[in-house]
Amino acid sequence: MICYNCGATLTHNDFCTNCGADVARYKKIVSTANLLYNEGLDKARVRDLSGAIESLRQCLKLDKSNVDARNLLGLVYFEIGEYVLALNEWVISKNLRPSKNIADDYISLLQDNPNKLDVYSQAVKKFNQALSYCYQGSLDLAVIQLKKVLSLNPKYVQAHQLLALLYINDEQWEDARRELNRAQKIDVGNTITLRYLAETQNILDMDDDAGYPGGGIELKGKRGASEGGRLKKDAVDSYSSPVLRKETKTATTVLNVAIGIMIGIAVAYLLILPARISAAREGVDENLKAAGEQLDAKTAQITSLEQDLKIANTQADKLKEELEVYIGENGTMTAMDSLLSAVNSYLDNPEDMQTVAEYLDQIDEATLESTSESFTTVYNLLLSKIGTDVSAGYYDSGMKAYQSEMYEDAIKDLTKAYSYDNSNGDALYNLGNAYRKSGDIVNAIDTYNKVIEEFPDTEMATRSQQYVNELNVD
Amino acid sequence: MINFEDELKKFHPSLEIEEAEDAIYNQDLTDIADLLVGLVKEDKESAGSKEEK
Repeated sequence: MICYNCGATLTHNDFCTNCGADVARYKKIVSTANLLYNEGLDKARVRDLSGAIESLRQCLKLDKSNVDARNLLGLVYFEIGEYVLALNEWVISKNLRPSKNIADDYISLLQDNPNKLDVYSQAVKKFNQALSYCYQGSLDLAVIQLKKVLSLNPKYVQAHQLLALLYINDEQWEDARRELNRAQKIDVGNTITLRYLAETQNILDMDDDAGYPGGGIELKGKRGASEGGRLKKDAVDSYSSPVLRKETKTATTVLNVAIGIMIGIAVAYLLILPARISAAREGVDENLKAAGEQLDAKTAQITSLEQDLKIANTQADKLKEELEVYIGENGTMTAMDSLLSAVNSYLDNPEDMQTVAEYLDQIDEATLESTSESFTTVYNLLLSKIGTDVSAGYYDSGMKAYQSEMYEDAIKDLTKAYSYDNSNGDALYNLGNAYRKSGDIVNAIDTYNKVIEEFPDTEMATRSQQYVNELNVD
Repeated sequence: MINFEDELKKFHPSLEIEEAEDAIYNQDLTDIADLLVGLVKEDKESAGSKEEK
């Protein structure tokens, strides 16, 4: 204890040995404050948090510089969900004793965990909103909001009590009792909780005894009549602790002897409890972190698998396309079949050019580019064997169609005639004519140009040139 | 019997974090020890002025 006048350490004397100030009353005040702090500590130990708050606040009214009492008050506030009040006490405590102060750790714990701080803040905001709903008469909304509050901060005593009050108002006695029991687990000595609990228990007992559903005027009558019964007993039970505390308060002299021991216990308590709280929080944080990491790993795995699936699908599509090249309508396999059939037909009957030609027609020219060298060799060999005759056949049929002015058929047959025999200049020239007569100017010019190029210095070339000139002028 | 309206009046909004600073600054930290020290000082001053007279 230090002198209020000069700050020197006081002795057992009733005056300051340094400045001579009378400190008898001052010492009495500080001793009483310590006594109240010890009371508050005892109550906090048995979870009588409301009682602890009362004692500690009285202690601080007597001696504001009792940092231990202030820190404990903050801790109790925090335990009942009033984290802003807790922070207030810790900040003031920190200002009173800037170093070697456990309030520093408490503040750091909150500041280092902004997510948790945000959750507490949200809980408070939602509680205030719920209270506002109550004042407006929107009780259903208030119940929903309070449930959210309690999911955010299950130790919010005021929220438990308000929710219980709403349940009582709605005559949901079981729900009310459940909430009140939860509130009581946090703060055993809260008079509001005890009063509501006694009322609720009373109604539930009456329901059990009478065997009729609660509610209505009849219920209220019975409830009123029985108030002297269990309610009174519970009330006495709940108030027994404060009465005892008052008695102990009167035994000041005895307790003064024990103050030294109590301070030791208090210091141990203040050091051990925060460490345990911190360890428990760290455990929860680690679990959350581990769960988060697992979630991230799973998400990454899913993403990787999705990418693999995408690649596999792309490969499947590609293979399907490749397969189509081989086994499709114009695929290599089909071309191979057609060539084999043509060869087979030629070996069976070399005179039956028409059948061989039909098989060869089935081979697409584009497919020839993707086939093997041996395939092309066989194809060209077969073409050289039958090409001239087949070309002559197609030329005849093409010219008949041309003369009959069936230019479409003529173009078809003359194209084949030229493709089977590239030396058949007449077929190419008349193909140009068929294009011109059918009105396909572009193909006509292309075909005439080909005649000029392939068969120069011929009459066909000269005529072709004339037609090209005419068509270009047009 | 519990009266809902009366009981509701006993519930007050909790302090929100935005209000914490004001709450700390506006908190009356005067304790009994301060009052005692004030009284002692006043007593001394009045005793001193009487001696001067």
